[in-house]
Amino acid sequence: MSQRQQQLTADAGQVGAARATGWVSAWNRFWFTASDPLPLAVVRIVTGLLLAWSSFVWLLDTEAFFGPAGWLPAHDVWRMNDQPWQWSWYFASPSPVVHWVLGIVTLLSALTLAAGLSTRLSAVVALAGLISAANRAPLNVFGLDDTLGMLLISLVIGPAGACLSVDRWLQSRLIGHGRTGDAAGQGSVAATIAVRLLQCHLCVVYFFSGSGKLLGASWWEGMALWGAAANSQYRTLDLTWMADQPLLINALTLSTLFWEVSYAALVWPRLTRPWAIGMGIAVHLGIGLAMGMMEFGLAMIAANLAFVPAATWRRWTAAVGLARVEACD
Amino acid sequence: MRADSSATAEQGRGWSPLLRSVVSLAIAIHLAAVVLPPLASPPPASLLANEAIQPFRPYIGSLYLWHGYRFFAPDPGPGHSLRWSLITDQGELLEGSLPDATQDWPRLLYHRRFMIAEKLSGMIPPMDAPEAIRRDAQLEWGPLVRAVAAELLTRHNGVTVSLDMVEHYLPTPGDVIDRRQQQPAVPGAWEDRVTPLGTYALATASATPGEQR
Repeated sequence: MSQRQQQLTADAGQVGAARATGWVSAWNRFWFTASDPLPLAVVRIVTGLLLAWSSFVWLLDTEAFFGPAGWLPAHDVWRMNDQPWQWSWYFASPSPVVHWVLGIVTLLSALTLAAGLSTRLSAVVALAGLISAANRAPLNVFGLDDTLGMLLISLVIGPAGACLSVDRWLQSRLIGHGRTGDAAGQGSVAATIAVRLLQCHLCVVYFFSGSGKLLGASWWEGMALWGAAANSQYRTLDLTWMADQPLLINALTLSTLFWEVSYAALVWPRLTRPWAIGMGIAVHLGIGLAMGMMEFGLAMIAANLAFVPAATWRRWTAAVGLARVEACD
Repeated sequence: MRADSSATAEQGRGWSPLLRSVVSLAIAIHLAAVVLPPLASPPPASLLANEAIQPFRPYIGSLYLWHGYRFFAPDPGPGHSLRWSLITDQGELLEGSLPDATQDWPRLLYHRRFMIAEKLSGMIPPMDAPEAIRRDAQLEWGPLVRAVAAELLTRHNGVTVSLDMVEHYLPTPGDVIDRRQQQPAVPGAWEDRVTPLGTYALATASATPGEQR
């Protein structure tokens, strides 16, 4: 090998090493930079309340959903999901009393999660309750349950009770006002990991939801939103007045499609993030109002809120007089 | 998007390189478990995705991550309901629908019951499908429909119940405009497609399917 070839090889090695170091550094910066847990706390409150409501609704027909017979008997669940991995605590007993108690446990854990009381334990129990219900009653689940699961995983991982919580209030009462504990004011790496996982998961959801739509002719024709609006089984708001407004239907359909397909790219840059989140809120509120799926819409909006920076939340909370939030970073 | 640094943002404060490596591996596994299910299902899906997902099945299943995320894709289709007609043990005839927007309240309860019809509809071929396809499909949906029949019989003290899958007609804008202008409907418009699912008795609902009508 000539001297020049040796030099080129060495240079290539240095470039490769520098590039690898850059990737590692970027990875560490993305996942392991301590951050303010406030966005996670906001997500926690919304998620806890939605899960509490969902748990209450499961309880309205507990035995039909979770009983040994019901809409889907326990021995037939394997036909609908991946047994034995999709576990459920409702498989443990055929007793209606036990099912009722387990449903109440989920409901209470969701409420304590929303309040931020024993937050980590509440999040774990709430996640177990959600998974148990969804895996026991696969005939009755839909996007709301998928989204709540995504949200709860992040709440189990991160310090979701560090702000806006009873835990925080109790801690400040015990230790004193102002900064508490060694970590006060320094942010949390676990909060970053939890929020990042939620953000990445949401991007995956929108990417596959958007790319799946690219297989459909009605989305390309710009008429898919009509299909949703005219579906009498979903409809809670009569939008059939749009029948003679094809260009409006086209615009709504195509903007929804473009937003969903591009969300994973546009939500990260600061310039386009407000548009991506704002459009998400509009789309999900629209689905909630027009198609009777407000809980699903709110859950997706809660996931989008994970992209709102803590500094923005602090400005907003200060604006509505919640100055005490300043003390929980 | 950079992590918020309104507080101090020291990278990995207190996290050793070893800990960061272990957590990085866990993150990578979790992200793989998030991405693989929508790659592997619903069809069409690659053999590669279906092979790759196998080692992740326990993790995906235990964390309830097995989702395709194809909301309203590829096209928003017609809605479905299960129409039932039941004879009670008093000889009374009851008729109803699952879901029932007038009875199933709150809306989330309606939606959870609506999902029964929607998910079963994906398994039940239309009446004009080839006989072999319908026979094979019945092996899949038969036990599930029997269970729904048994639940209805139990709820209403029924002796027999007949079930139909109703695919509700999805009107086009033209259909709506015609109706608004009181024009005669296009042949076939506004007609729901009905697929009989059989008649079931409580004693046999969990054992044998009812005869096809």
